[in-house]
Amino acid sequence: MSELSHESPLAGVTPPPGLSVSLREITDRGMIDLRGHGSDQAFLSAVKGALGLDLPLRPRTSAGSDDLRVLWLSMDQWLILCPRTKAAEILAALRSALTGVHSLAVDVSDMRAVIRIEGGGCREVLMKGTSLDLLDAEYRPGCCRRMRFAEIAALLSVVEDNVFDVYVFRSYARYAWDFVCATAREPARVRLFGAQDAPA
Amino acid sequence: MSKPYRLSAGGSRIDRNRRVSFSFDGRQLTGFAGDTLASAVSAAGQRVFGRSFKYHRPRGVVGLGAEEMNALVGVGEGARHEPNLRATQVEIHDGLTAVSQNRWPSLTFDIGAVNNTFSRFIPGGFYYKTFMWPASFWKHVYEPFIRRAAGLGKAPEGRDPDSYEQIHVHCDVLVVGAGVAGLAAAEAAAKAGARVIIADENPVFGGLADISGGAIDGLAQADWALAKARTLASAENVHVLNRTTVVGHWHHNFLMLFERVADHDPARLRTGAPRHRLWKVRAHQVILATGAIERPIAFANNDRPGIMLASAARGMVERYGVAPGASGVLFTNNDDAYQTALVLKAAGVAVRVVDSRARADGPLPAKAREQGIPVDAGSVISAVNTSFGGLSVTDVRIASYRKGQGRVIKETRAACDFVAMSGGWNPALHLWCHNGGKIRFDDQLQTYRPDRHADRITAVGAANGSFTLASILEEASAAGSRLAGSGNVHPVPAVMQAGQQPMEPIWFAPATGKYNEGNKHFIDFQNDVTAADLELAQREGYESVEHTKRYTTFGMATDQGKTSNLNGLGVLSEATGKPIPEIGVTTFRPPYTPFSFGSMAGVLTKDLFLPIRRTAIFNWHTAQGAVFEPVGQWRRAYTYPRAGEDNHAAIAREILAVRNKVGLLDASTLGKIEIRGPDAAEFLDRMYTNVFSTLKVGKCRYGLMMNELGFLTDDGVTVRLAEDHFLMHTTSGGADRIAAWLEEWLQTEWTHYRVFVTPVTEQWSQFAIAGPRARDVLKKLAPSFDLSNEALPHMSFVEGRLGACPVRVFRISFSGELSYEVATPSGFGLGLWKAIIEAGAEFGLEPYGTEALHVLRAEKGYIVVGDETDGTTTPVDVGLDGLVSKKKADFIGKRSLEQSYLKGPNRKQLVGLLTEDPGEVLPDGAYAVRQVKDKPPMEMIGQVTSSYRSPTLGRSIAMALIENGRARMGETLSFPLPGGKVVRATITDTVFYDKEGAKLNV
Repeated sequence: MSELSHESPLAGVTPPPGLSVSLREITDRGMIDLRGHGSDQAFLSAVKGALGLDLPLRPRTSAGSDDLRVLWLSMDQWLILCPRTKAAEILAALRSALTGVHSLAVDVSDMRAVIRIEGGGCREVLMKGTSLDLLDAEYRPGCCRRMRFAEIAALLSVVEDNVFDVYVFRSYARYAWDFVCATAREPARVRLFGAQDAPA
Repeated sequence: MSKPYRLSAGGSRIDRNRRVSFSFDGRQLTGFAGDTLASAVSAAGQRVFGRSFKYHRPRGVVGLGAEEMNALVGVGEGARHEPNLRATQVEIHDGLTAVSQNRWPSLTFDIGAVNNTFSRFIPGGFYYKTFMWPASFWKHVYEPFIRRAAGLGKAPEGRDPDSYEQIHVHCDVLVVGAGVAGLAAAEAAAKAGARVIIADENPVFGGLADISGGAIDGLAQADWALAKARTLASAENVHVLNRTTVVGHWHHNFLMLFERVADHDPARLRTGAPRHRLWKVRAHQVILATGAIERPIAFANNDRPGIMLASAARGMVERYGVAPGASGVLFTNNDDAYQTALVLKAAGVAVRVVDSRARADGPLPAKAREQGIPVDAGSVISAVNTSFGGLSVTDVRIASYRKGQGRVIKETRAACDFVAMSGGWNPALHLWCHNGGKIRFDDQLQTYRPDRHADRITAVGAANGSFTLASILEEASAAGSRLAGSGNVHPVPAVMQAGQQPMEPIWFAPATGKYNEGNKHFIDFQNDVTAADLELAQREGYESVEHTKRYTTFGMATDQGKTSNLNGLGVLSEATGKPIPEIGVTTFRPPYTPFSFGSMAGVLTKDLFLPIRRTAIFNWHTAQGAVFEPVGQWRRAYTYPRAGEDNHAAIAREILAVRNKVGLLDASTLGKIEIRGPDAAEFLDRMYTNVFSTLKVGKCRYGLMMNELGFLTDDGVTVRLAEDHFLMHTTSGGADRIAAWLEEWLQTEWTHYRVFVTPVTEQWSQFAIAGPRARDVLKKLAPSFDLSNEALPHMSFVEGRLGACPVRVFRISFSGELSYEVATPSGFGLGLWKAIIEAGAEFGLEPYGTEALHVLRAEKGYIVVGDETDGTTTPVDVGLDGLVSKKKADFIGKRSLEQSYLKGPNRKQLVGLLTEDPGEVLPDGAYAVRQVKDKPPMEMIGQVTSSYRSPTLGRSIAMALIENGRARMGETLSFPLPGGKVVRATITDTVFYDKEGAKLNV
């Protein structure tokens, strides 16, 4: 086997016409799952040495830039986002910096599908699948949290005000995509708390 | 009048310039835009809307909105048919088709009405008394009969063509009901900056403002309400929802709101809008402004078509320009209902008032008298006469009355064709009570009011028992400001309203004629429960009101006692001589009014019914025509039948390919967990029954996992990647459960262990290449590592590349053949899979599915946790005691295995079975019995756990858990099957193929 062919979880799937938001799969994202203790200074400084940034320690926040962003997942778990082509290099740097420090770093670039939902009303679309209050001020760019979405486990990341990434485990990609397509239909658009017609 | 009952003018809700045609029971009718089905059909002169539940008495419209309990109709046709809708809430549109319910063959002639004639044989508790014996009659005789004779509408036919959805929303304040109280509360809360949702079940906001007289801020109530609705709708922090019923209230202010998005507008439905939307709302504060529901009065035959609530009669005239009849009698015990007499009089409808109070001299009765309306105070309606079949009222009898009087002394007759009744108003407490709110009886109002509640919920206005405009506005505005967290109280507008004298309760009006024969005083119209039924239940010893409810069916079903609850308590109070508060109350349950199954399912139907998990190879399997089977939420390829093959033939071919050549299995669903840390080896020693700390780096070991009870819970192969780093495999179904199990022990019991656990199941596609030619296939894929038996022996591991593809290769086998499991990051999975298929072609490689996998492992006697185990099976039971460490100090389940009953005699043990007839395949789960008898019961000594046709051996094989099985080698057992056949099978070893394992080490 000489040539490598890489296929994303939603390869060949396109959004149906008539959606109220724009929908696409992000395929070029590398992901590293990092375990370590947020209270362990050796761990924190080793990671900072390797990544050049401080791990976010506040729940449901992220740190970094477009190229390298770290999502807080729990007190001892982070998800590092980077270009897919850089994942191996960053993982190696991390592991080397963490030699002798209790930790676990794993390349999980192929473990999840990333669905980007973009446009006015995308919060309302997501609220058809999750009980989180996405209109709350907490959900500003940089916020991330795990959630139950459409009956499955998912990870939500606020990219911009009207741009959200939903991470689901790869095997559920098609199901989650179909769920969003079903709830994002233009005739089903909901605008919450804005000016409305008077009831009549 | 253009139609018999349509008035020439008036009707605030209808647009006389827009005609709407619809049908009711096949009759083509015309109404106006804004009409309800109830108003439009009434305008056409029709009174009867349905037949009652038990007695099949003809019934007409009683209420104005959600309280309607008689006029339940089915709307729409075929797959779009929806039963049991209240005609008072169905908005008509062009092409609407509606039908009445519970009648056969027609509304005006109904065979079931014979039940009414024989009603003395259908008393309260009838079902309990009659259908107790014999038991078998219930299923075959009674129930089918009752289902046909009683009951509500019919289910729709066919698959629902419309879409439905749900949405979750949080808010600071949810206001339930958009009457005067709700609007004032919402306005105050919104002004204070709160995020407010205000929901009302009606299309138009304002509640009963439009028919209640009086003025607010110099505006007629309805105009004030309209202005407030506009302000709220335009506010950025308010969401207004009309046609939306708050159907239930649950813990911590979780409420469900049922929005009818497009029922009233077929054009909108055609654009693809969801028909219904269910809102799941979490509110910081709830303000209940649900208003009040008017009480009927229990007088003889008070259920006849044409007898309705006073508010309904008033609403018919004022909202829809429809007269309830040509001449009517208003029966009341309060001043408020006099408004109805005044409205009727103004519309040119003849009316007289019968008032049970000794005196009626408040401002409203005075005004009625001024208008020339006859008022009989100290009187009741003692009889209602109807045309043949009870279809329409012809006259009533009026008797003088003083409170507590039991029989009729003197009567006069009054001709009329309708009756409006009002027994006072009950706060709508349903939502208050859904989640345990307490209520208290108010002597002055003679009704229950909200008392205490554990949730943050506040009732205002009529829902709180406040009936004057000034008090409604004051408490609503104050609640809105306070609950929004504002210290500034919103200003209360000035009001103008006629004063009222107190009402006097009347729970039972004396009647002419024989008691309860043709003289029914209905309490619960929907469930056909009369005052006599309640009284009888008392005499029969059903003292608790909750027992009375179940015995008589009072207050049950879709109506939930909206109009009947208090009247029933009043009757029970008089029957027992106890005051109402001592009677107790029944429980109001959600939903307030029924909501659709479609909205409960939302979009989770059809392809979205269940979350389905697909491997990276799923589409390839599908393209190959694979048959799938569910494994947890995964869909795994079960077998790949070729043209002309059935599943059996395909499975047999796949098995033989593995035994003789080579096969390829998609095993990506196997659970994979990375475990790392200085204490990882010790941790695994505790989790597994066998030892992992001795495992060499680069080697694999099969492990068994027990729960604390000593029962098998999972198994799989774990690899040591480095001194402190392991990769654990779990069963496909156990992946998430075991990952959580490991975390639980680390987080709650062994917090001193320095171990991290990261599930990576979905990172990897993993394939088994199994069969004598497996190595040849891999060699063709340009491996970066040595594949020889010496370099990579059985139970060892290597990481490298196949060509350019990064792989982890485990030499492990679940088939008994030379076998490699190859894992690659999922994105490369399909490419690698196709490459293996291509490379294997010359060696006869075939993909095989999960059924072949199962047969292959059974031929080798390998267990499957969940097949050979059932949650009460130990490693010793399945013959794997060798894998239970004797040396380790402790591990999960170790102590449980020492319990006497797990060590004792007569445990069921795993054995092999060979049927006497090699062509006979025992069914899974078949029982072995100690002695075959003519019929059950027979003593069971074990059961078949796995059973297959083995193409390798050319005969059937099975495994079974049999009492003392290992001591019974060679014994022949009997397995009686349903139908009388008995299969005989001999106990053997569980390994049917390659007992020495020679094929593994080549």
